[in-house]
Order: sequence, then structure tokens, then C-alpha cells
Amino acid sequence: MTEQEQQKKQIKRKKKETIDPNAPFLRIEKLNKFYGDLHVLKNVSLSVKKGEVVVIIGASGSGKSTLLRCVNFLEKSKDGKIFIEGKRIRNQESQLNKVRQNLGMVFQHFNLFPHMTVIQNVMEGLVQVKGVPKDKARKKALDLLEQVGLSDKADVYPAMLSGGQKQRVAIARALAMDPKIMLFDEPTSALDPELVGEVLTVMTDLAKQGMTMVVVTHEMWFAKEVADRVVFMDDGIILEEATPEKMFSAPEHERTLEFLKQVLPPQDSE
Amino acid sequence: MNIIPWDLGAIPSRFFLFGEAAWYTVQITGLGVLLGLVIGLVVALGRLSSYRPISAVSRAYIFLIRGTPLLVQLFIVYYGLTSIVTIAPIPSAVIALGVHNGAYIAEIFRGSIQSIDYGQMEAARSLGMPKGRAMRRIVLPQAFKRAVPSIGNQLIIALKDSSLASTIAVPELMLRGRQMGSSTFMYMEMFIIVGIWYLLMTSVLSFVIHRIETRLKVSDRD
Repeated sequence: MTEQEQQKKQIKRKKKETIDPNAPFLRIEKLNKFYGDLHVLKNVSLSVKKGEVVVIIGASGSGKSTLLRCVNFLEKSKDGKIFIEGKRIRNQESQLNKVRQNLGMVFQHFNLFPHMTVIQNVMEGLVQVKGVPKDKARKKALDLLEQVGLSDKADVYPAMLSGGQKQRVAIARALAMDPKIMLFDEPTSALDPELVGEVLTVMTDLAKQGMTMVVVTHEMWFAKEVADRVVFMDDGIILEEATPEKMFSAPEHERTLEFLKQVLPPQDSE
Repeated sequence: MNIIPWDLGAIPSRFFLFGEAAWYTVQITGLGVLLGLVIGLVVALGRLSSYRPISAVSRAYIFLIRGTPLLVQLFIVYYGLTSIVTIAPIPSAVIALGVHNGAYIAEIFRGSIQSIDYGQMEAARSLGMPKGRAMRRIVLPQAFKRAVPSIGNQLIIALKDSSLASTIAVPELMLRGRQMGSSTFMYMEMFIIVGIWYLLMTSVLSFVIHRIETRLKVSDRD
């Protein structure tokens, strides 16, 4: 190889690695997903900027959870591309294990590890995936539990917690990996109504700290107050994207209006 | 003249002449099930593998072993293999019991692994954990816990099945009973002793299994 060629290659590599500051943090391009014959995601594209909070709303079965799950490849899409910080993510075990560390995921049903205590749940990824020494991991886990208001529950098993507490532990577990983006898949849907608030509070704090977030939820309050952008999905497509102000006051599509009417309590005229 | 045609007094007086034989029963059962646990885990993971050839081999193993009697398997190991390798009675019994129980334990493990909510695997994978480690750290500990009652059941079956080893001259309880019976002509008395020994051992096993089960329940239920 001549020197020139080497230089060229180096430049090329550099180009690949440098990140365009204006590039979206997460870019989903023309995603298609089928369950058998059912076409659940139809050419969906979406971009999320660094620090942005995007809330995805829509009726159940509209594909919002599937879209979120495709981002960290818990679901494999048929085609379409996913870029994180401009880098294409491929369906490759070794790469996925690295990429997933940057994508914190919070599930509807918490999925805490029941055979581990709360703090062991939070430490697990740090110790097993990142190889952090146990004492360091423990310290970090305690800090995170404090952040979600559960430092007093560090040594109990998840079975002893309420749903809201479980979900807060799950958030701490995801945050332990220092993710660059947090994905929330209907984090409050499995909770008793009186427990929803405590989880949304933790999420709101997170948003205020500048965390990039994609949230699938039915909590319109959260969408209104915290989202930078609201995405309405219907029947496998993104029908509408707008700021919360616009989405909730003057949606463009009839279908969006219909959905919002159903989920929003009727306005008291005073 | 006795009303009962048997000398029941011989039962307590000869009872402990069976101690050594009982110890052989315990050993071949224990080692056999231990081997069965190892085989069972490997075969269960094989069956669940997404790599076709491996899951096919595992399925074939379960098909063959569950579909044939332990006695046939025992004779194949002890007599059948002699043209290739001669295996002494006790190792033969351990191998046959291990291979036999391995198939059943594989199905127990497979069922308990599949009973663990898939969300557990997803949560582990979402932290960036490779599949193997997620299985080892997250799924298997929970699956083992769920498998305990069934494994205990299998252990009790194996203990009783080990009596078949008497047919290949392993000096365990059943063989001892036959020998004692033919030398004293007190068959009923001697087989009652054998029965009591089995009952004692299965009772101890049941008790221990029950204790383990209750202890494991601590962190359970969500």
C-alpha cells in the first residue's frame, strides 16, 4: 500500500468516526416489521436529537411498542435502518451487545430479576457487562437508588416492592449503564393509578437533566408537560409529529383528533 | 404355632445386615442422578438451541431414552458394550441411570426454562448482556428453582429404579434381598426389610426436598 493510499484510508476512517453535531442522535429509516402476514410497521422513519424527549402516542396495536423494541433489536425488523450517532446499527450479536449498553430500556412489566435484591438488580449490568468492580458498582447503584428515592430498599427482593417502586428500580437499573438514550415502553401501564405519579416524577427529573428519551405512553399529561415532540402512530405509520402544544390543540388529522378525544378527559368549561 | 406363616421377628434382627447394600443403592442413585443432571442441562439447552442440528440431536436423545426401558439401557451398557469396552457393574449402573435420568431431567429443565418470562431474557439483553451469560445469570437460577420439585420427584423415582442394577450384580439392596432370601428361605421377611429400607430413604429424600423448596421461596413471587 502506498503512503497516499494509507492516508486516504485514514481520512476515510476519521470521517466515519466523527459525529456531525447536528446529526440526530437516533435515526430510524424506513422500518418495516411483519408478524406473519400482519404488517405492523410500515416504512416508519423517525429522528431523535440529543437531549430531546419524544413521546409516542397512539391506540394499542398501532405499532408504537414494536417501533421502540426495534430500536434496540429486541424485535428484528425486516428491513430499514437504524443509526445511532450517525452510525448504522446492524443485527450482529457483538455489535448489539455494545450498542444496547447505550440504550436504556424500561419495560411495561418492569422485568426486574426476582432472584436478586434491588441493589443486585441495579449492579448486575455494571458488574457483568461493564466489568466494574463490585464495591464501585455498589456505590453507583446506591447513588442511583437514592436518585429514584429507594435507597432504603436496597437489600430487599423485588417481590417486596409495589409496582411503582419496581418500575423506579428498573429505571435505576437501566441508568446504571450510563445510557445515552432511555427508551420507555409504556412504563406506567401496568401500575395502579395512584402509583403512576411517582414513576412519572422520576422520568420528568430525568428529562430535566437533559436525558434523551423516547417514551411510549398513554399518559397524556406527561406528553403535554415533558415532551419536546409528540408522535402519533396509527396503524403502523407515523401519522403526525408535532410539538405538544400543536398536537393537543390543533392536530392536523381527523384520526389524531378522534384518538385524543378518547384519551383526554373532557375539558371543564368554566 | 404362628397365625402368620412368616417369622416377623427376623425383620428387626436382620435389618442392619442390609446397611452396606443400602449404601450402594445411595451411591449409584446419587452418582447416577448427578450425571443425569449434567446430561439433562446440556440436552435441555441443546433442545432450546436455535441451531437445528443441535436441537435435533437433543430431541433424538430424549426420544430414544424415554422410549426404551431402563433395563434395556442397563443391559446395553453392561453386556452390549463388552465387544468394545468392558465396564464393571457399578459404573455400568451409574452410567445407565445417568443416561436414563438425563432424558427426563432434560425435559424438566426445558419446561422450567421455558416457564421463565421471556421479559427476563429481554431485560438482561437490553443491558448488553450476551445471550449465554443472560441464560446463566438470569434465566437458569430462576429455572433451577422452579425445577426443584420435579427434580426431587425424579430423584425418588431414580432411587427405586436403581433396584434394576441388581440384575447386573451390583451388590445393592435388591440383590441383597434376593441373596438373603435364597439363603434363609425367608423371602417375605427379607423383601419386607428391603421395602422398609427404600421407604426410609425415599422419606428422607421427600423431607429434604420439601425443606429446600420452602427455603427457596424466600425471594419468590412477584
